[in-house]
Amino acid sequence: MFSSGAILIFSPRVHLSKKRPKYRQATTQHRCASSGQTTNVKLRVSNLPSTAPATLPAPSHHVPNIFTPTTCTSPLSHFKMTSSARIPSHLAPHIQLPSYPSTTLVTSTLGASANWLIIRFLVSALSSRNTTNEDDSAPPVPLVLVSFLRDWEFWKSEARKAGGLDLERLKREKRFVFVDGLGGMCLGDTQVQNTAQGASSTGRMPGVNGMPSTGLPQRTPQNPTLPARGPPQNTTLPARGPVPNRTIPPRTPQAASPTSPTANTTPTPSPTPPKDTNLLIPTPTLEATRTALETALTSLPTSTRKPLLILDTPSLLLALNPAIIPTALSSTILSLHKHTSHIITHLPADEALVMPSEPAQPLEIANHNFLVKMAHISSRVLSCRVLDTGFAKDVSGVVRITENDIGRSMELKKGGAEEDKRATELLYLVKGDGSVKMFERGAGGDI
Amino acid sequence: MAFRKRNVALSRNDPSLTAEPQSSPTSPSSAAATPQTIPGIRPSPVDGRPTTSTGTPSLDAILAGHAGLPLGNSILFGETGTTDYAGALLRFYAAEGVVQGHKVHVVGFGEGWGRELPGLSDKDESGRKRVNEADKEKMKIAWRYEGLGVFGSRDKGAATNRGSDSEAVFCHAFDLAKRLALPVATAINYIPVSRTGGSLFSAILQNIQRHLESTPPETIHRIVIPSLLSPASYPPISSQPQCVLQFFHGLRALLRRYSTRLTAVVTFPLTLYPRTTGLVRWMEILSDGVFELAPFPYDYRQALSTSAAATKEEERPQGMFAVHKLPVWNEKGGGGAVEGLGEDLAFVLSRRKFTVTKFSLPPVEGDTEAQEAAVHAASGSAMPNKKDLEF
Repeated sequence: MFSSGAILIFSPRVHLSKKRPKYRQATTQHRCASSGQTTNVKLRVSNLPSTAPATLPAPSHHVPNIFTPTTCTSPLSHFKMTSSARIPSHLAPHIQLPSYPSTTLVTSTLGASANWLIIRFLVSALSSRNTTNEDDSAPPVPLVLVSFLRDWEFWKSEARKAGGLDLERLKREKRFVFVDGLGGMCLGDTQVQNTAQGASSTGRMPGVNGMPSTGLPQRTPQNPTLPARGPPQNTTLPARGPVPNRTIPPRTPQAASPTSPTANTTPTPSPTPPKDTNLLIPTPTLEATRTALETALTSLPTSTRKPLLILDTPSLLLALNPAIIPTALSSTILSLHKHTSHIITHLPADEALVMPSEPAQPLEIANHNFLVKMAHISSRVLSCRVLDTGFAKDVSGVVRITENDIGRSMELKKGGAEEDKRATELLYLVKGDGSVKMFERGAGGDI
Repeated sequence: MAFRKRNVALSRNDPSLTAEPQSSPTSPSSAAATPQTIPGIRPSPVDGRPTTSTGTPSLDAILAGHAGLPLGNSILFGETGTTDYAGALLRFYAAEGVVQGHKVHVVGFGEGWGRELPGLSDKDESGRKRVNEADKEKMKIAWRYEGLGVFGSRDKGAATNRGSDSEAVFCHAFDLAKRLALPVATAINYIPVSRTGGSLFSAILQNIQRHLESTPPETIHRIVIPSLLSPASYPPISSQPQCVLQFFHGLRALLRRYSTRLTAVVTFPLTLYPRTTGLVRWMEILSDGVFELAPFPYDYRQALSTSAAATKEEERPQGMFAVHKLPVWNEKGGGGAVEGLGEDLAFVLSRRKFTVTKFSLPPVEGDTEAQEAAVHAASGSAMPNKKDLEF
């Protein structure tokens, strides 16, 4: 009685002291495919959480589970990995794009976001040319990512952490274009005005809602292009054409300034390099979206192959602007096929958005129609959802991959193994460092 | 010795709320490496991004290991029923911001709302301070790890405060029975909601954006939106998708643009706008964290019994606390072991704090005389005996 009580009392303390050693030891097991030997690599990381910026391509955590025999000799030196190591082998056949122009649909739910899957598409499209030099006859596939929900920082850091991609560099190499559908779409006027004001702006605009701002006199024209609400209307058409006009200057002052007084904010990626090349969709209208997309697609060098287009949550347009009807949106997306090779669309497919509630809202019906239409024209549907049976510590969710028959018949029957399986379900686990583990139902955690 | 010198300089630099010039022992490693000049901000133990406290320690603890709300993120609290438990959470969040010197923007409510902010609980603080002194004397080595051990554990409110008290308090303890004396009139910016016109939300966003741009970049801002779309303060047109969803989208854009300066917490009546509708789902998709509060219906018999509390000391939960989405964590895809998610959580609102705990029913079949005695002691003969119910 007493002894058990004593154990109960003292065990947390013992546990605590074990759990917090002076140095954090990260033990990574590498299994060598060729020799079968197992090597333990212990890394000693000084226990200073704040000094390790999250944005670095964390050396210790990114050692993959599979190694090609060449990388097996010195695991740690191989920082930069092949793209196959980034993509789980179970998933690899499903994110390979067919040879004919196609549409792929990726759906997600509230608890199971599919951003990791989009990242895998990015990785497989962009990093394949870096590593495999076998068929260098074909030029690389450029990529256009349009995100209505997430900002450039998110995609940049996630692609770097999870996929080892340097999207900034790829953007400079004209292999990648990001279209920002979040930053300026609903902030509206102030965004454009700030853009017009440029670097000289103090950020204080003449009170748009009638509230005068303090400080500097507003009426003095600091900039010759200051007509208060003018810029969007006056220069709309020419401004959409050239890329650098649609910039996001307000980020640079806010991001650069907090880093100077305090080191606390340094872990956030400090975007000191100018990100002036991001296209912005200024208003939630179909025309603005189409213009921005076509600008992005045609800004890529024509010598390369037709680009791959990834649309993140375009159905948000239906929600933000009820004047857009679903067929118009889907036909706009389809009309972009003349510029692109593949279109990957990411849509939220929660039950609340798909199944209309009792007095059906127009919003729900529009979403439903759009989603069903996109699912029908897609040759492959990858849908993420949470586990039906509740939460598990080692499973993030289920991805169901459905092949469309029409697309399959167009493809020359090349593979034999998965011909009979039209739909597969895989469990996945997104780890904290961004890597993904995938396994089949019932099979343990294997790769 | 080297440690000591460095920390003396640190404690001078840092504008902490404790007035006494104490020579603190070695601070938690994070603060030692980077002097914490912005009060109320600390790096996340997961990935180092700056976080701020929600004012509720147990809520900080379930935010996917970040031990705080990461800056540039928002939380949406939905509450069913007519109670205002989420309002208490919101007041803690606002009061924490005021105490830390952050700029607080309250949307849709006037100064009356700000006057009801809970005051600092002084009694708790003094007790904590005494413990802290004892710790300094006794266990210097264990103290060093205490601040680290805090991050993983759930019930860490007291430990957090104790561990970081000498540096700067990350999360204060408040007392709902007291009133916070607002330091200056400009601490809270009240943004009215105009009842006419369709541009009411864009006016709010522009107001906040003006404040963000006119303040120095070290100023942290908090947006507080109590009972959004409640008909009491919002016109009917505001629940149109093009209004409220554009507002959420713009708010998200604002949070991302000022991703080191801004957080937002929104509460929302779920009874008027059920979660099964597409409008609410879009609002949840556009928010970073989504929590749902489902208070138990009040029952006087339940109030007398000890049905949901294992012991008498433990406070009976007042409702269920559901986690639907966590900031940052769900954006990445979710997964991994996160404490709290997937478990049945309940909340207890007492005078001092809002606690999110595990919900557990007591063992009914396990015969506990103490429980029966407690029932009898509490209710006398009003409650039927257990033997009467059995057949």
